[in-house]
Amino acid sequence: MMRPIALPLSVLAIASLLSMIISVGVGSVAISPAEVWSVLIGDGSGLQRTLVLELRLPRTLSAFATGGLLAVAGALMQVLLRNPLADPYVLGLSGGAAVGALFAMLAGLGGALVSGSAFAGAMLATVMVFGLAHGTGSWSPSRLLLTGVVVAAGWGAVITLMLAISPARELPGMLYWLMGDVSYARAPWAGLGLLALVCLIVIPLGRSLNVLARGPMQAAALGISVRPLEWLIYVLASLLTATAVTMAGSIGFVGLIVPHMLRLVLGNDQRLILPACALAGGTLLVLADTLARTVIAPEQLPVGVITALLGVPTFLYLLHRSR
Amino acid sequence: MIKLKVLAVMLGWMLLVPPGLAAPVCATDDLEVEVCLDHPAKRIAALSPGATELVWAAGAGDQVVAVVAFSDYPPAAKNVTSVGSHTRMDMERLLQLQPDLVIGWVTGNPSEQMAILKEMGMPVFSIEPRSFEAVSHTIERISVLAGTESAGYTEAERFRQGISTLKAQYDSADPVRVFYQVWDEPLMTVNGEHLIGEMIELCGGDNVFGSLARLVPRISAEAVVAANPEAILAGGMGEENRHWLTRWTAFPTLAATTQNNLFFIPPSLVQRPTPRMLEGTRLFCEKLEVARDRRS
Amino acid sequence: MSTLRTCDLIINVPGRPDGFALNMSIEPGQIWGVLGPNGAGKTTLLHTLAGLLPTRSGQVILNEAPLVELKRRDIARHLGLVFQERQDSFPATVMETALIGRHPWLSPWESEKGDDQKCAQQALEAMEVDHLSDRLLSTLSGGERQRVAIATLMTQNPDIWLLDEPTNHLDLHHQVKVMNLLRNQAAENKAVFMCLHDLNLAARWCSHVLLLYPNGDACWGSADTMLKPSALEQLYNQKLMTVQVDGAPVFVPVSAGV
Repeated sequence: MMRPIALPLSVLAIASLLSMIISVGVGSVAISPAEVWSVLIGDGSGLQRTLVLELRLPRTLSAFATGGLLAVAGALMQVLLRNPLADPYVLGLSGGAAVGALFAMLAGLGGALVSGSAFAGAMLATVMVFGLAHGTGSWSPSRLLLTGVVVAAGWGAVITLMLAISPARELPGMLYWLMGDVSYARAPWAGLGLLALVCLIVIPLGRSLNVLARGPMQAAALGISVRPLEWLIYVLASLLTATAVTMAGSIGFVGLIVPHMLRLVLGNDQRLILPACALAGGTLLVLADTLARTVIAPEQLPVGVITALLGVPTFLYLLHRSR
Repeated sequence: MIKLKVLAVMLGWMLLVPPGLAAPVCATDDLEVEVCLDHPAKRIAALSPGATELVWAAGAGDQVVAVVAFSDYPPAAKNVTSVGSHTRMDMERLLQLQPDLVIGWVTGNPSEQMAILKEMGMPVFSIEPRSFEAVSHTIERISVLAGTESAGYTEAERFRQGISTLKAQYDSADPVRVFYQVWDEPLMTVNGEHLIGEMIELCGGDNVFGSLARLVPRISAEAVVAANPEAILAGGMGEENRHWLTRWTAFPTLAATTQNNLFFIPPSLVQRPTPRMLEGTRLFCEKLEVARDRRS
Repeated sequence: MSTLRTCDLIINVPGRPDGFALNMSIEPGQIWGVLGPNGAGKTTLLHTLAGLLPTRSGQVILNEAPLVELKRRDIARHLGLVFQERQDSFPATVMETALIGRHPWLSPWESEKGDDQKCAQQALEAMEVDHLSDRLLSTLSGGERQRVAIATLMTQNPDIWLLDEPTNHLDLHHQVKVMNLLRNQAAENKAVFMCLHDLNLAARWCSHVLLLYPNGDACWGSADTMLKPSALEQLYNQKLMTVQVDGAPVFVPVSAGV
């Protein structure tokens, strides 16, 4: 029978809120909940205000936006390619973004120019794969996937080359960009806005995605204009991924595992899955980032390590239970 | 009449203010940024092991409140709170220590995190000495910002004198062809522009890879054999890396092998651009002397 | 009630020269069977009639409007298709699969309501797969999946039913059930057009027959005029023996020696 949408989304929304509260309240410097509250209402000491409002809050919001963007992009990719193993990076988007960012670093640029370059690189990768996989009729998922995998490998080779020839001074910066780090994202508003926008778009689009997931011929027979819809999904997924990678580098695992886990628990209605991905992906990354920056403080772990450590056992457990 | 009264009041104020009370200190860092503080820094954060050594050399060790991982010299630095790896620092812990001056490393710290500090109005002084003179100059600049000029300038001068003495001592020495091995796998060396390259030159050494374009080039073992250096010196992470040298014994035609000029210098004395390089350079020059003696 | 007409239609089978131009009219109440050996182009014809493949020449006309001028959604409200080969790569339950049949009738902002679910439920019951409604499609047998596909078409409830070998994988009981269902739909003024492997099914259930030859030749008409042994033997390149059972002919292949 049709599963109700309101209950799971409410639960996830509460989880998101809780995770953000935890993230803002926890850090390598101990600040009591009462003190955090006083900061939020306008009081608190200068140090506490700096820590909460200028370090933790932007970082929390950025982590939420990045996690949500990646999870939704992963879910869209899985529908587009009709393959539950697809993730946002499978078509070479993160590779293109990385090449863009590294190129900017090599040219001596910094800050916003590196981000802009990363975004441009990601969109270039999108256009490339789209153009190369073009054929008659709708894209076959296997053709798109093969093209994307090959292009991604190509980007990987370019990245390796850039790392090999770059002067030693640039190397640490490049490596840390590649590993992904939420702390670098300072302005989460673009990411959050895009996430909200895409979730809204999904409401009228969701059922069409359900039908498309049954196959392009079947979808066409049921009244879907397959080619324009596939194109739209591709552009949306690319935009989401490019934004996420620009904000925080390539953080792996979230885009693959979150849609999967949600599907095991909530079924296959994209109208539920996509907003749920936004909330669950955001929650996961916020919690992972909180752990990454506190668990062995002052050492800071790359957040991708934590998402894997959290995600893998959870996923295996859900898979086992669903059998 | 009124103007005269105003002038008198102003003169009076100027006489009342004690001299040097709000004396700002300024210095220009290695990124060409001028950093000015209202008063000498009392809480310094040193964000690289090299910076830590240089701050202590400037006489400001007591004013250091934060260091990063691997800040192991001088031993007193080990007691200072660490804020994590210099490539990914714990910003909360750093801010909690409320530094009034941050000494960063140009190529060591991630620009994003430094940007965050600058956005918050934190004075950030980025250094990275690339020559012997720069080492002294850096110590002097830090001492100005820390208000420890007398100790800092003294130490800088000591270093300068030491280097120029060594320079004079080995000025007319016979050149010895040297290969300096920075790392084993991959095989890396330094070119003439690197500080270690300057050290080699000072001791009368001829860096066989001095003319390469990159500062820290990757080379092959064949290139080393082809260059046929007379002496091979190895440095690296950790104090016991002698196995790096034993690989060269597999090439019996290599001049360094036949003369047994496979030397090892504790890396902590040459790999950080700090006053300890004086000791390292002295050792290096002595090794080259040994190589010269073995020629006959 | 809708009518599907072909106007000098030549289907595009890659590598094959132009076949015979088809000028058929598929009208409400008719049950068409398309017969022909493998490779004759039956599936291509079906997909072309559904507007999923382009014609080589000629037109397909749905209710006086050429198919190419219609929006996919409008087509889907009049015409539905059960495929022979299905891609079931993405997981879905039986109920979810049946429900997508309602898609052409819902605007993007609507979601499935009680009526839609009842419709799907009834379709699943008619196909005797309602007890599997929460099972994943991938866990079902071939026959069960076939019945779900037909139930999906029932849920869509178009005027014109196109089916590609609907009795594939089905046991005898369900074969008869499906054919009875199609007969009832025709009785309610739907038009049924299906490709059949088994010419005896055509003989028993179809009102009209189209014979498609591998070289592109074709002939069509009412079932009794088309189902002549000589034509069928030529079509299948197989000698046949005819028997009458229950008022309809049954064709039995015989080996050359007899």
